[in-house]
Amino acid sequence: MGDRSGAAAGGQAAIETRDLTKVFGQGQAAFRALDRVTLTIEKGEFFTLLGPSGCGKTTLLRLIAGFEQPTAGDLLIDGKAVAGQGPNQRPVNTVFQNYALFPHMTVADNIGFGLKMLKKPKSEIAATTDAMLRLVKMTAMADRKPAAISGGQQQRVALARALAPRPRVLLLDEPLSALDLKLRKEMQGELKRLQLETGITFVFVTHDQEEALTMSDRIAVMAEGRILQLGSPAEIYNHPAERFVADFIGDTNFLDAEVTARNGRTVMVRLPGGAVRKASLPEGLAPAAGERVTIVIRPEHASLAPDRDGEGDLEGTVENTVFFGTDTHILLRLPGDTPFTLRRQNTGTATSPPEPGRTARIRVAEGGIQVLRA
Amino acid sequence: MALVNRAGERSSTPGETLTDRPPSHRWNWLLCAPALTILVLAASGPLLIVLVYSFLAPGSFGGVSWEVSLEGWFRVFFSRDIFDPEIVSLNRAHATIFWRSISLAFQTTVICAILGFPTAWFIATRPAGSREIWLFLITIPFWTNLLIRTFAIQEVIRNQGLINTILIQAGLVEAPLQMMYTDFAILLGMAYVFLPLMVLPLFAAMDKLDLRLLEAGYDLYASRWQVLKEIVFPLVKPGFIAGSILVFIPAIGAYVTPRLLGGGRNMMLGNLIELQFGQGRNWPLGAALALTLLIIVLVALVAYIRVINRQEVAQRG
Repeated sequence: MGDRSGAAAGGQAAIETRDLTKVFGQGQAAFRALDRVTLTIEKGEFFTLLGPSGCGKTTLLRLIAGFEQPTAGDLLIDGKAVAGQGPNQRPVNTVFQNYALFPHMTVADNIGFGLKMLKKPKSEIAATTDAMLRLVKMTAMADRKPAAISGGQQQRVALARALAPRPRVLLLDEPLSALDLKLRKEMQGELKRLQLETGITFVFVTHDQEEALTMSDRIAVMAEGRILQLGSPAEIYNHPAERFVADFIGDTNFLDAEVTARNGRTVMVRLPGGAVRKASLPEGLAPAAGERVTIVIRPEHASLAPDRDGEGDLEGTVENTVFFGTDTHILLRLPGDTPFTLRRQNTGTATSPPEPGRTARIRVAEGGIQVLRA
Repeated sequence: MALVNRAGERSSTPGETLTDRPPSHRWNWLLCAPALTILVLAASGPLLIVLVYSFLAPGSFGGVSWEVSLEGWFRVFFSRDIFDPEIVSLNRAHATIFWRSISLAFQTTVICAILGFPTAWFIATRPAGSREIWLFLITIPFWTNLLIRTFAIQEVIRNQGLINTILIQAGLVEAPLQMMYTDFAILLGMAYVFLPLMVLPLFAAMDKLDLRLLEAGYDLYASRWQVLKEIVFPLVKPGFIAGSILVFIPAIGAYVTPRLLGGGRNMMLGNLIELQFGQGRNWPLGAALALTLLIIVLVALVAYIRVINRQEVAQRG
């Protein structure tokens, strides 16, 4: 699962964890926040930990930052084990969810704080602070206190403060969640730009799948303290390995199917209604012919077929259509009472939506069918 | 004042505050009228009387006789020769007493701050449930009369008291340690009486402190000491200022504790003022001394706040 090609190419990874485990509390009340997590984050990567609240993503981030010590397992930063080191000994800085700017210091003093603590010469602190202020376009606000600037500006100061000491890894704990939609979109681009400009490894924690998909080089989807799937945004989106991943990221149709034949990484499956189609398998799954599996089809990988016979088309009854602006969702029901949603993009050419009650043929794009592990 | 500035900074976040409301609550000030009345009657009234008395002549049997005289104020700073009133010298006794009281109040404030800071920090970092219990324990001394508490301290530190009995029984000392009637006893008693007044405002300030700011400090390579110095101290400073004022001002006029535990060997300002209204039968001098104390406190307060604000400006620059 995932690609490790970078690690093989030599040089240490930015972050490496082996069976990293964190248990809070003891005995009956023990809570396993992180369960044997093994992963490698490459240098210069924009790596996202994605999952619902309580999935362990923030715990993993806090372990890397040094705010918590692991219960078991190894953690390496830049190839060096950091067990027992506090946050002030690790070449890692954090952008906090609530920014945690020092309210009694000016914007400039906030940004210079890390360098000051590292006992850098005054001239260097001033120069770096200036450069950081320019980088996040906050030069005009240098002498303001955090309470006197807007949320988006505080966000940028928090970024600059964490970047100023030039950490090997920048940790971002849901930094955009407090911003409104428009500002969040803007900051997504800004973050990506900063990451490319500085070349620093970003480890980004979010529960927002769209954020994860648009910004990341790789995503680790987490639930209940484990990594369910790790891969590029396209891999995760197009080939979800587990029901949870498919459900958490994007809209999905889940269908029951029967395996008819297997050929390496692909299988032939019989869909509801009898059509037989090729589907891709997740890593570590090799179902035999006759086995029942769950498959996923993304709504936008299906389209309404013109009224003629096509090999492998599904057939369903139109129940409803919902207009969404950029696209229209057509809700259908397949044989066996399985609901199916199909997304048709609005291209501007007025095609009237199918009337409810009509029978429609659904054509699934080649490679649009994925078998789930569970 | 610094306290006000701080509060202003905090509340500068946007959103509706009480003062933003439409002016339909024009009669709101009436809500504080009862308190205002008491303040005027109980504080300003007596203060005015004291001010008037300080410019009158003493009555033969206490009280005042209604003739204008500057003798009260004169006597605060100068003393006259017993045999020849024309021979005037600086009143060294008064200066000594003033200095002693100010120095005791200052030491008390410093001790309370040193003891109070870790105590308040301990309470502020407890989980929500046990925090109330600790706060409750801190306020228990307030439940008992000051005299009784002071006698209780005597019971602990006197020659046949708890500490000496234990030390002698354990064979650690042969003769009892003299603790009563020493400066140590006075400071112990003062610290005990005034500690809660330092702990409570410090706790209030620490309670508001966002612990993630400390994490941010550690994350940015600060040591424990640097986090304390650069983040905690500046942010709990309002509590520290409030605590210092609450301790210093009453401590400067304290007289029960110094007399009972110090044995009355060294007169304090409180004792001196009390003396003028009692055996001394010199009310104008007592009034003038009381006002001098008030002026010293006000000047010290203004200077203190100025120094602190200047430090703040310097830090910013």
